[in-house]
Amino acid sequence: MPDSELVTITIDGVAHQVPAGSLLIKAAQDTGTYIPRFCWHERMNPVGMCRMCLVEVQGPRGPMLLTACTSNVADGMVVDTRNDIVKKAQEGVLEFLLANHPLDCPVCDKGGECPLQDQAFSHGPGESRFVEIKRNYEKPIAISDLVLLDRERCILCARCTRFADEISGDPLIEFKSRANVTEVNTFPDLPFSSYFSGNTIQLCPVGALTAAQYRFRARPWDLQMVESSGLHDTAHPRLSVQVSQNEILRLVGVDNDATNHGWLSDKERFGFEYLGSEERLVTPLVRRDGELVQTTWADALDRVAERIGLIRDEDGGGAFAVIGGAHGTNEDAYALSKFARVVLGTNNVDARLDDALASHFLAATADRALISDIDTADTIVVWGPDLKEEHPTLYLRVRRAAQELGVRLVVVHPRATGLDDRASLKLGYRPGGGFALLDEIADGKHPEVRQALSAERVVALVGQASFADGPKLAESVAAYVRNKAGSARILPLARRGNLFGALDMGLAPDLLPGRVADEEAGRSALADSWGEMPVDRGKDTRAMLDGLDSGEIRFLLLVGADPVRDVPDPRKAALALESAEYVVSIDLFVNDSNRDADVIFPAAGFAEKEGTVTNLEGRVQKVNGIAPVPGQARPDWEILDDLAERAGRTIGLSNGEAIAKEISEVAPAYGGISWDLLEWEARDGAVVPLSSARHLSHIPVALKGDKAPSAPLILHVARTLYDDGVMMRHSRSLHPLAPGAVAYLNPDDARKAGAQEGHGVKVVTKHGEGEFSAVLDDGTPPGVVYVPFNQPGAGSLGTEAVVRVTAVGK
Amino acid sequence: MTTPLVVTKRMTEFPADSHTIDRYEATGGYEQARRATGMTRDELVEEIKTSGLLGRGGAAFSAGLKWSFLAPARPSYLVINADESEPGTFKDRQLLERDPHQMLEGIIITAIANEVHQAFIYIRGEYPKPARRVQAAVDEAYAKGHLGKGILGSDYELDVTVHLGAGAYICGEETALINSLEGLRGEPRLKPPYFPAAKGLYMQPTIVNNVETVSNLPHILAMGAENFIELGHPLDTGTFMLSVSGHVDKPGNYELPHGITWRKLIFDVAGGIPNDRELKAIIPGGASSPWFVPQIHLDHQITKDMCAEAGSMLGSGAVIVMDDTTCMVRAAERIVRFFAHESCGQCTPCREGTTWMEMILRRIEEGQGRAVDLDLLLDVSDNISVGLGWPPKMTTICPLGPSAVSPVLALRDYFRDEVDAHVELGGCPLKKVEANA
Amino acid sequence: MSHWSEATQERAREIISRYPQKRSAVMPLLYLAMAEDGYLTNEGMEEVALWVDITPAQVQAVASFYTMYKRRPTGKYLISCCTSISCMLLGGDDVLHAVEDESGVPHGETGADGLLSVEHVECIGACGGAPAVQVNYELIEGVTPARARELVRWLGSARPDVVNTDEMQELFGGVRSFDWAIREESGAVGPYPAFQPLGTVGTEGDA
Ligand SMILES: Cc1cc2nc3c(=O)[nH]c(=O)nc-3n(C[C@H](O)[C@H](O)[C@H](O)COP(=O)(O)O)c2cc1C
Ligand code: SF4
Ligand code: FES
Repeated sequence: MPDSELVTITIDGVAHQVPAGSLLIKAAQDTGTYIPRFCWHERMNPVGMCRMCLVEVQGPRGPMLLTACTSNVADGMVVDTRNDIVKKAQEGVLEFLLANHPLDCPVCDKGGECPLQDQAFSHGPGESRFVEIKRNYEKPIAISDLVLLDRERCILCARCTRFADEISGDPLIEFKSRANVTEVNTFPDLPFSSYFSGNTIQLCPVGALTAAQYRFRARPWDLQMVESSGLHDTAHPRLSVQVSQNEILRLVGVDNDATNHGWLSDKERFGFEYLGSEERLVTPLVRRDGELVQTTWADALDRVAERIGLIRDEDGGGAFAVIGGAHGTNEDAYALSKFARVVLGTNNVDARLDDALASHFLAATADRALISDIDTADTIVVWGPDLKEEHPTLYLRVRRAAQELGVRLVVVHPRATGLDDRASLKLGYRPGGGFALLDEIADGKHPEVRQALSAERVVALVGQASFADGPKLAESVAAYVRNKAGSARILPLARRGNLFGALDMGLAPDLLPGRVADEEAGRSALADSWGEMPVDRGKDTRAMLDGLDSGEIRFLLLVGADPVRDVPDPRKAALALESAEYVVSIDLFVNDSNRDADVIFPAAGFAEKEGTVTNLEGRVQKVNGIAPVPGQARPDWEILDDLAERAGRTIGLSNGEAIAKEISEVAPAYGGISWDLLEWEARDGAVVPLSSARHLSHIPVALKGDKAPSAPLILHVARTLYDDGVMMRHSRSLHPLAPGAVAYLNPDDARKAGAQEGHGVKVVTKHGEGEFSAVLDDGTPPGVVYVPFNQPGAGSLGTEAVVRVTAVGK
Repeated sequence: MTTPLVVTKRMTEFPADSHTIDRYEATGGYEQARRATGMTRDELVEEIKTSGLLGRGGAAFSAGLKWSFLAPARPSYLVINADESEPGTFKDRQLLERDPHQMLEGIIITAIANEVHQAFIYIRGEYPKPARRVQAAVDEAYAKGHLGKGILGSDYELDVTVHLGAGAYICGEETALINSLEGLRGEPRLKPPYFPAAKGLYMQPTIVNNVETVSNLPHILAMGAENFIELGHPLDTGTFMLSVSGHVDKPGNYELPHGITWRKLIFDVAGGIPNDRELKAIIPGGASSPWFVPQIHLDHQITKDMCAEAGSMLGSGAVIVMDDTTCMVRAAERIVRFFAHESCGQCTPCREGTTWMEMILRRIEEGQGRAVDLDLLLDVSDNISVGLGWPPKMTTICPLGPSAVSPVLALRDYFRDEVDAHVELGGCPLKKVEANA
Repeated sequence: MSHWSEATQERAREIISRYPQKRSAVMPLLYLAMAEDGYLTNEGMEEVALWVDITPAQVQAVASFYTMYKRRPTGKYLISCCTSISCMLLGGDDVLHAVEDESGVPHGETGADGLLSVEHVECIGACGGAPAVQVNYELIEGVTPARARELVRWLGSARPDVVNTDEMQELFGGVRSFDWAIREESGAVGPYPAFQPLGTVGTEGDA
């Protein structure tokens, strides 16, 4: 029914207007009456099990006790939430819950923020009338690597089990037994290994589920917290960062409609450990007789400034390259963009690492979808990465739309994905054969797809499904959907922290701040504040790596970037870095790319600085600092401003908020956006408009596009949620969860290659080879070898699609 | 018996082979189903409505009316409830074992009336012999073309699947039964919807009827609604089966017209109390029902309404008779134990409350009772069944939890002294009597 | 993949085909799993999970809800003594104690030799023939403590491969809920119900 429709109900004698058909417990809450509850959760289907929300409703046959969480409001409904009958019933339920509940609040992580404890104080009877012996269980049991379960504390509200089943789609924790020995548990030796397991900790209304990472670490009352947005996922889920004694202890999801409904992936929730790592850089490092040694800021900055001046005079801006900038705030990215153009005089800047779609498509595609459009679509098309691996927040949102809201879901991907079980239509194709498939669809070979696309509201999530598909495929898919659907909305997918913010700040060779093309018009608009700017076409990451290789580029500035691990063809990056004359890095860690750098500046990280970030739908949100910056580390913008000064061309940035103001003045799309706005009026963030949005019409839906290689075996390389990236490597809880050096083979291909589950296989391409442990997998079609990208202990295979697989060491 | 038998007629007249299809057809079997294939849904629903047939599974709801609630969505399903697990009840077992074709014919009629093409018979797992008999009958019926494609020479299609339970009383509750049949835990569903006829198996319109209920259908069509009404009590038509057990001389199932008195049932029909002991208490409608006592209820008529007026119910027709050697605390404990054990565990009050009640009663029986315990017991009960009335004002999803309160009501109303004696003597007074005897 | 015999797999397919949705076949398949392994093993539950396409945790959630899916090794003969109200009134507890005493197996346990498991159960629908006992769910009504001891001894000595309800009723039973006109030659072959579609019905001679 339309939400607009209102009905009148009476709660405790007061009449209220509430949305027709809404749940009584919610309607009451929204009109100021809190009805106690344990099992009900706004984001999941009601089960009416705990019975705590009993209220009295006047019925045809006199008053009835009903659970508010399972009753829909009806016009004229008369409800009593606190008369003596209701009070007694609620106190009765509470007493039953406490009968078998241990009294270990003082040692329970939940103590101090426990609804059961709170209820017991406000509603419960005093000392217990239950004189029998309480249930007890062996405690606690680890139901996964990250989550512990104390069964005797469990009140069987089914929140965790519903989450696993309804929301994350991996029902690996379930009720077991019945009656008063009912418990929550996993199947023996089959842990609750879900990418989203941490949400159950947050959902648990008592201390039955706790985080292995957080257990006994702190009491709620000595935590300070700030709200922020997570950057492990370009949807930027809202969360609160909780700190004690200057140390981040936990992240907790914050419910909002815009992005994450309060859910967080385990990577987001537990992946902050790298910030507290012993190996964080705390002082600038410079190379002295081959060794990286500590030095002062002044020394490090002067050396770099001097070298910049020298090269600039000899070869001009064309000799500089700037790679990275996707992990900082918009303010950092703006500083870098301005630094590159004004100080280095180059357009060779790129925040993408050769694995993302075209910058103008990411930054300024027309008909950009909002995340919330997913809920109201008729059809959702996902043609791109496995959302479960690369976009966990979107994964949950799409899953819910397909499962609970009945939205038709079309998934196109070279192998099995996490959404397949919810898809009404799934198409596969050989990696690299995406265009061929699109041609078939355009030629009417797959009527069911056309039919799904002919719906009124279609939302297409497009991205790079496999390194073998070029970046252009996604644009063509988007263009095709746009032609077919009544009204299509497009969500271009790309990963890596604040990439979309970085592009909006101009960290791409063809973009300037505010989604403006780096062309005459754009430049002249900026001229007053930026002064003289380079005019020659800039290079993207791959071209810059070539330029370094050829010697055309002499100076490389890496900002939170590790190309040697992060670009699809790491070997190319390694060679380029070797031939670089001078390498400067701004980073949190020494990594494989800056290990041989000439100078490394220690940077401030997530939750150590304040600023704004922009997610993949174009939503700008405020991130906040609460943890102290380690040692002498500084935010990127500050380092760059200082460096500019010393290099003789100032960029005049004084503090974060001032930079935000400058952005809003010079970057068209960001007009009107200020920290104040985001702190106060727009707590869910503000979606920036597409100032110079490009329509997709100019993009050809590739007709007779290239076919997939015909070789018997071709390689499919894609990212997994957990990998060997620098942040994961320094997050001790998560790093062990990365799949490692594995190759997924269809059982038939495995047989042909003589490979057995868990045994070693050698995978060889033209560009490289490596030894992997074989996984026999029906989800991988015959003729395809799937190798997760950037895994601990795995060699890189490059981008060449044709592979050979042979079994090793029997 | 003066009144003619209906559902037990054939098995009484032809004990040796009442279960075979040959005997069944030789005695007019499947004629009504054949007739039904020529009738419309409306005609059938009307006929059954007029007959006043009430469900025999415990809820005593008009079968015809329930059918009329069937939602328009299709496919629709039929599930026969043969989970018979209410302590004291064993009538369906006899109908399943001795006259399975009678039920099958009832199934065909119900299916046609509700446009059902797939029916299930959910038989409790502890009834393998009845299940074998029913499966054999189903196979015979298929072989004869009474089930399957084009049944009984019509173009109607009906498949019947026999499903075996696995030990859970709660699966008798129709929505739990449906979950169980879907391969889920046997947990009752939230109400509303109040009837599976709206949303049932696989969220499709579903009719759930008891074995005895559908076994009556061929006879109603044969004799006509009016004659069926004649058989019984105007408000409670037809005959019904009572399972009599406990301290009686002739326990067993008796098919009777509604309206005879408890005295007649116990002392004439069931042969009275053995070893000339005294009658102490009657459980009128299965373990769920509040108890009766001779001094008050013996001459009450046995009808749905009389039972209701007296604050109890006829339920599944399970009459459990207890003589004066029976310890009421022990009997109550045994019944509460049953419900505690059978709770599905969803609702806090049922899961925790019934077990707590069991613990208190056991303490009292074993002599560890405290003076406050009866009041505690009553208050705990009150938190499951608010106001301790009948029918119960439930704090739970289904009536199982509140059912556990029934025996406690008897302790409160008729046997307070016996409870107090337990507390004072530090044990069971009757045991002590036995000892001295 | 499957550790089930080809015959059992064929039955599984046949059973699944009787239901509109395969998940509905979980319960019968769990019985098949018991019949394969003698009791419900973890492997059995994993197998069922594959057949109906749900997780083993979901199968366990169902299996553990019901009392008849035995998830611990169970004897060749499962003796279930009813101690619910009607049987209790007529001495069901004494029958249970007699069985425990004669077999040396306390209820809820299985004898060391793996021959007998003893349990007390709630109402098995034989109240008119109380006290009632089941062996592998085959019913005996009107059992006395003395007859119960004979039953235990008989199982120990005769060790029938198939337990037949009519035979046991004649040997050890008394009052019945109603007249059992129908004799069966067949019976149960293990601690799970004997039912045609499960292929668990045994007849003397075979096995
Ligand atoms: C706890 C509980 C147990 C029940 N057990 C049974 C049962 O064993 N057999 C049965 O036919 N109905 C049982 N019922 C009643 C069913 O829910 C349902 O009302 C009945 O099967 C409908 O069939 P009828 O209308 O033909 O009686 C039970 C109800 C409850 C609440
Ligand atoms: S009352 Fe008991 S049996 Fe009924 S749903 Fe609630 S917990 Fe389950
Ligand atoms: S919140 Fe309503 S029953 Fe739990």
